[in-house]
Amino acid sequence: MFKRLLEYVGFEPGRFKARWLSGSEGAKFTTTVKEMTEKIKSLGPNKKMRDDII
Amino acid sequence: MMNLAQQLREQAKKLLEEKKVDLVIGFGQGTELARNTPVFIDSPEGVSALTWGPFCANNLAKYLVDYKNDPGSTAVVVKGCDARSVNRLLDDNQILREKVVVIGLPCPGQLEWQKVSAEIKPGSTLKEVVDNGDSYTVKTDSGDYTFNKKDYLLHRCLVCENPNPVISDITIGKEIPVKNYEERFAEVQDLEKLAADEKNEYWNKQFARCLRCYACRNVCSVCTCKVCAFDQMQPMWVSKRTNLSENTAFHITRAFHVAGRCVDCGECDRVCPMDIPLRKLNVKIHKDLGELFNSPTPGTEPGLISPLGGFSPGDPEEFM
Repeated sequence: MFKRLLEYVGFEPGRFKARWLSGSEGAKFTTTVKEMTEKIKSLGPNKKMRDDII
Repeated sequence: MMNLAQQLREQAKKLLEEKKVDLVIGFGQGTELARNTPVFIDSPEGVSALTWGPFCANNLAKYLVDYKNDPGSTAVVVKGCDARSVNRLLDDNQILREKVVVIGLPCPGQLEWQKVSAEIKPGSTLKEVVDNGDSYTVKTDSGDYTFNKKDYLLHRCLVCENPNPVISDITIGKEIPVKNYEERFAEVQDLEKLAADEKNEYWNKQFARCLRCYACRNVCSVCTCKVCAFDQMQPMWVSKRTNLSENTAFHITRAFHVAGRCVDCGECDRVCPMDIPLRKLNVKIHKDLGELFNSPTPGTEPGLISPLGGFSPGDPEEFM
C-alpha cells in the first residue's frame, strides 16, 4: 500500500522496498540487500521532494 | 427542499422538547446565500435556524467527538457520506451509540459554493431551491438561476456512493437512487498513467503550496488522536518548517495514517485554503484497498474491519 502511494506521488518504482525476512534466512537477506543496493545505485541519489534543489 | 427543512425542524424540536437530546447539530444559513454554516441548537425555540439544501457540504459528524463527554445525548444531521463517518467513529469507539441520535437526509448532491457564488448576484436572498433531477434551480430575490449538477456539484458528489445515509435513526425524505456523473477512479487512473517524473512534478506543485494550516487534519472525521504526531515536539516526527520536503512528508503521512479508515467524505479537499487536491491521495488509497483487499469504502457498513487493521490468509503478500 505504502509503496503504491509513494510511486503515485512520483517516487521511482524500486526506490522503496519492504521485505519480510526471518532470522534464519541469511542467504535471502544478503541477496535482497545486494539487489536493493544495485537498484538504488542505478537510480542514483534521490532528488525528489527535497527542498535543497528548488 | 424547503419542505424537508420544515420536517427537519419539527423532528429536531420534538427531540429537544422530549429531552431525548441536549443538542442538535445541523446546518444553518450562512452569511452568503451559497454558504451554510454548522449550527448548534440547545432549545426547541432555536430550531428555526436549521436549514437543508444543496449548500450543506460540511460533514458534521466530527463535532460529535467534541460532545462525547457531555452527560446528555447529541443529535446530528448527516448526509450519506457523513453517515459513513458516524459508522467509523462508532467503530473507533470515539462515540457511544446510545448517546447519538442520527438524523439522516438522503442527499441529491452538494453544489460547489465558489462556482455558484460567482454566478449569483451578490447580496441576493435565497427563496427556494428546486431539484430538477440533473440540475438545481436556485430561486432568489434577484432572479432564478439553474445549475447543472454535472458542472456545479463537488467532485465527491459526482462520484457519490451513498446518497442515502448508511446509518440513521430518523430519516427525512425519500431514498435517492445512486447516480454517478463520472467514473470514481478516473482522476486517479489518469495520474497513475504519468511517468514518475511527471507525477513528481504534479505533486511538487501541489505540496509546495501547502501552508501547513492543518485544516485537513482538523476537519477529518477519522483524525481523532488526542495528541497528533504533527503537533508533537518531542519527538518531532515531522519538522514544522513549511517547505516542499516537509510538506510532502506531512501529506503522505496524513494520507497513509487515515488509510483504511478514511470514509471519502472529501472534507479535507473542500476545506484546503490552497486547493490542494487531497482527495486524489485518499482516493488512490481507496482504489488500492479495493484492488488488493477487495474492501469497500470504510464506514459503508457498521463493524467493518479496516483492511489494514486485520489479517486474512488470502491477503496479498508482495513483501515475502
